[in-house]
Amino acid sequence: MEDLVRLESIVKVYPPVVAVDDVSVSFRRGEIHAVVGENGAGKSTLMKVLYGLVPRDAGRIFLEGEPVNFRGPEEAIARGIGMVHQEILLVREYTVWQNVVLGREPMRALGRMDEAEARRLVGEKIREFQLNLDPDAVVGDISVAARQKVEILKLLYRNVSVLILDEPTAVLAPQEVPQLFAELARLRDNGRTVIFISHRLDEVLALSDRITVMRRGRKIDTVQAAATGKEELARMMVGREVVFSSRRTPRTPGVVVCEIDNLSVRGAGGRERLTGVTLRVRAGEIVGVAGVEGNGQLELVEAIIGLGKPESGSIRVQGRDLTDEPILERRRLISFVPQDRGRMGASLGASIVENAIMTHHRLDSRFTRLAGLLLDLPFARRFAQRVREEFSVSMSSERDPFRSLSGGNQQKVILGRELLLDCPFVLLDQPTRGLDVGSIEYVHQQVLGVRDENRAVLLVSADLEELFLIADRIVVMHRGELVADLPVEQATMEQVGSLMLEGRARAS
Amino acid sequence: MTVLIGILNGMISGATPILLAALGGAFTYHAGMFNIAMEGMMLAGAFGGVMGSFFLHSWPAGILCAILASLVMALIFILFSVVLRTDEFVTGIALNLFAVGATTYLLRQTFHVKGVFAGPGIVAIPKVAIPLVDRIPLVGQILSGHNLLVYAAVLATLATSYLVFSTRFGLRLRAAGYNAACLDSSGVSTTRIRIHALLLCGVFCGLAGAFLSLGYVTLFAENMSAGRGWISLAAIILVSGNPWGIALISLIFGLFDGLGLLLQGSGIASQFTSMVPYIATLAALYVYSIRKKGRA
Amino acid sequence: MTRKILTGIAGILVALLIGALIMLAEGYRPLATYAALFQFSLFGLSPLATTLKNSVPLILTGLSASIAFASGPVNLGQPGQLAMGALAATLGGLFLHLPAGLEIPLLALLAMAGGALWSGLAALLRIAFAMSEFIVTLMLNMIADFFTAWIIAFPLLDPKAFSPMTRQIDRAGWLGEMGGFSGSVLFMAAAVAMSWFVFRRWRAGYEWRISGQNSLFARLGGCNIDRNFVSVMLFTGALAGLAGGLVVMGGPHRFLKGLGANYAWDGVMIAIVAGSGLIATLLYGLFFSAIQTGSLGMELITDVPSEIAQVLQAVLVLVIVAGREFVRTALDRAEARRQARERAA
Repeated sequence: MEDLVRLESIVKVYPPVVAVDDVSVSFRRGEIHAVVGENGAGKSTLMKVLYGLVPRDAGRIFLEGEPVNFRGPEEAIARGIGMVHQEILLVREYTVWQNVVLGREPMRALGRMDEAEARRLVGEKIREFQLNLDPDAVVGDISVAARQKVEILKLLYRNVSVLILDEPTAVLAPQEVPQLFAELARLRDNGRTVIFISHRLDEVLALSDRITVMRRGRKIDTVQAAATGKEELARMMVGREVVFSSRRTPRTPGVVVCEIDNLSVRGAGGRERLTGVTLRVRAGEIVGVAGVEGNGQLELVEAIIGLGKPESGSIRVQGRDLTDEPILERRRLISFVPQDRGRMGASLGASIVENAIMTHHRLDSRFTRLAGLLLDLPFARRFAQRVREEFSVSMSSERDPFRSLSGGNQQKVILGRELLLDCPFVLLDQPTRGLDVGSIEYVHQQVLGVRDENRAVLLVSADLEELFLIADRIVVMHRGELVADLPVEQATMEQVGSLMLEGRARAS
Repeated sequence: MTVLIGILNGMISGATPILLAALGGAFTYHAGMFNIAMEGMMLAGAFGGVMGSFFLHSWPAGILCAILASLVMALIFILFSVVLRTDEFVTGIALNLFAVGATTYLLRQTFHVKGVFAGPGIVAIPKVAIPLVDRIPLVGQILSGHNLLVYAAVLATLATSYLVFSTRFGLRLRAAGYNAACLDSSGVSTTRIRIHALLLCGVFCGLAGAFLSLGYVTLFAENMSAGRGWISLAAIILVSGNPWGIALISLIFGLFDGLGLLLQGSGIASQFTSMVPYIATLAALYVYSIRKKGRA
Repeated sequence: MTRKILTGIAGILVALLIGALIMLAEGYRPLATYAALFQFSLFGLSPLATTLKNSVPLILTGLSASIAFASGPVNLGQPGQLAMGALAATLGGLFLHLPAGLEIPLLALLAMAGGALWSGLAALLRIAFAMSEFIVTLMLNMIADFFTAWIIAFPLLDPKAFSPMTRQIDRAGWLGEMGGFSGSVLFMAAAVAMSWFVFRRWRAGYEWRISGQNSLFARLGGCNIDRNFVSVMLFTGALAGLAGGLVVMGGPHRFLKGLGANYAWDGVMIAIVAGSGLIATLLYGLFFSAIQTGSLGMELITDVPSEIAQVLQAVLVLVIVAGREFVRTALDRAEARRQARERAA
């Protein structure tokens, strides 16, 4: 098996960060090669350089021994290299066949497309690779796993020999993964090369032939999958021993703090997104909400915090009915760390202190003077310093723009702001998404600490490992319904995965 | 009866510049751009039309110069918002103001007048009588005898519909608006598609401007586009860029424009009749917003 | 901060250069023209006073646009709000006869109320019916234009006038001069100071700014987005209205055709070129006023038509705004290359 693609001494800088630091790696014909590393290790950037999405600052790329320089994805695809991104890049309004042929449309006269021919070609490819898709289905209506298949199909239609997949399992339920792996193995046996970016070590070990580990922009090593194990890979990724077991000590929960009764939410387009959800969260306990994204978790969070109006049902915190209350009133009782830091949790352009005082500026009279008219800036700055100390935030000045902080530090500021509101109920939505292992550990520590302070925590997470690590109880969302409510000691990952995908536990 | 025919003819005339400009804007709308420079392109076109017609003594030259002037505006827009990646909103506003300033300045420089230039040397675009049709009683008087550009506008609507919905260019154009990143990663340059859309917009707005200064009336007045670019923008948004919807909305606005002229004769002060298209836009926006809210 | 000043100065120089090229193409002499331009606007107490007085509507409408853009609402209604403010002040000045010490502040307040009413209408339509304030304020501009045109031509027409205009307002409402400088400048300075204070030190201003940067975040943080929207629209409408009132009080002392001229659109341009920053709005407002004031005098000496000022302004806006982006990406790319070279070495 000779080298099909060789990357030599690649450097890519996003000032002041060196995203890819002198990395050399090669990929063979007919292999599945995983590139692993923490978030921010440079795996995605390296692949984007190969693919031509991003220009490199130094280094060379060889394809079949010849030096190449892709100035854009079109050139890479023309030479047989294709990439499926993590954020599925499809036109939701178009059908499967329209998406697949976009950019390479079969033509008729006068600039018209040959629709019949396009449908035929797409159908042929679907059958050839056993992908089980309907060419005329509208992409917006099919499942996430199916959309991923459309992306792969798009590349196969262009006859690529190298497929790069960026975190493909991030959007799938555990039970959908084997099907994807079977498809990838088929492609490998067919003679193609699959490059697979991930940070999920179990999957990587199960699927790949070889594994390259990256850390902080550098390549640590390339190893045979059969010759290594999870601990060794984790050590290479992080640089130190990583604890895989839970630090949670069992506790008896206290009084009920949050009562959600029969909550139903209708989404845009009239479809019911949440149906009859009933849930209790007690003081001193962490309830984890598991589920494949898009099964009602977002609607649940939005209903609790006050963004969406439920069709029926009620939400109570500490006995107070919040169902019709405006957001500000709810914030007296609910701390909220939202899913998307940049979009919902902060204003990236504002300064750190301006981000830190949000909500406090309304609920805590110490932040204002003259009956709430003026801001007390010195107090605000002192508060920002307090956040920095208590939550170990690494920053230069509180007046710096928020976006100058790293992802982990941004999340620490947000967490600090919310936890210092001293609310009895804490709502966390994907709090560790996009963070490095060190920051993830820190957040888990803080959340467990909040629980030990006898506050009630509702934690929504797509990361099953995380839920099993720190939650006391696990509930599962499926198609807008709560289909299970289990103490974590009585649940297994397979069982929960099954509930996530099918709505009921499969007899093992 | 003559009154009714007059109203309908006035409606068609009033609708034409809005329709042409809105069709041009539809291309950039589908491409996902926020293009508010139609006003400036139309104004430049109007000025170019007068220049070409006056100095080259022919209306085809006038139309050509109108298109060229509008394309110059489009090229400036391309330079700033596509190449230099300046914010589209900002570029649009600056371009509109530039168009006002430049045309006013050039008006003074070239013709040595302020405000209006209506010299006898401007060759107007002729009206066209369709043979046979013009002999049909009543209907013939409405369908035939309009300015050449009116018929061009009808053809333009057909052309736009075909381009946007039946060609490969149209598929890619709409993809640029739905998901530009996807289009780029499919190997088609979104930048290039958007440049084409802007150039098409320039051509159409040039025609709209030519109609204003060489068809509707035969003169150039400072700032004569008078907010029609904004109305065409409203039209595009109201029907989400559908060419036939745009035609309908343009006719409605043209109707109000014509009604305004009619009311003038009845003793209501002209200022109020001039307000009518803008109040109509507000009303249309109200209906649109209420419907949208109801659907949500 | 230094980057902003550098881009600004560089932009001005490039724009002046382009202007010079245009002048050369038309057969004029750029250096003499520019010399005349700045002589008539900045060199000397009288030119300076005139420039300052002319800057009042520019800076106030610029401020109106800047604060609105930075807080979320797209208020493009300054032309209409200026007109309604001027109308309100004129009405007050025609029918209220109080001593100057009371009349002047009252007329100023009426002007602000007039502007706020007009912008408040747009805010209401947005809150109640989800009608985009972008389009509504634009349409209201045209409606205000025609409405005021009617009022000065019919109900309030001065019978002795030869073109549509109202009678002059009560002498008590005439803004005089102090030491050569117009009283309107004082009002402007007070408005600027007040705006800065509200925007940067008040809790409301904090919420406005954050709402403008990320309204979802502000909403989740407990800010009342709708109420803030209305407050911003009223505040910025009042600023534009005040501009109109000051134009009437400090200038022709009556409402006549073409009162607002291009002030308000220039104000929007100034806000754009200033990146919605308050201090920058003030400075650019002064600069634009210098160009406009100077161009009138320049025409007397050098034959260059004063309209070139409009062209120069638009060129300046485009150059500076494009320059901002360009400089940023160029500097980032240079930095990336430098670091890459360091790594290789």
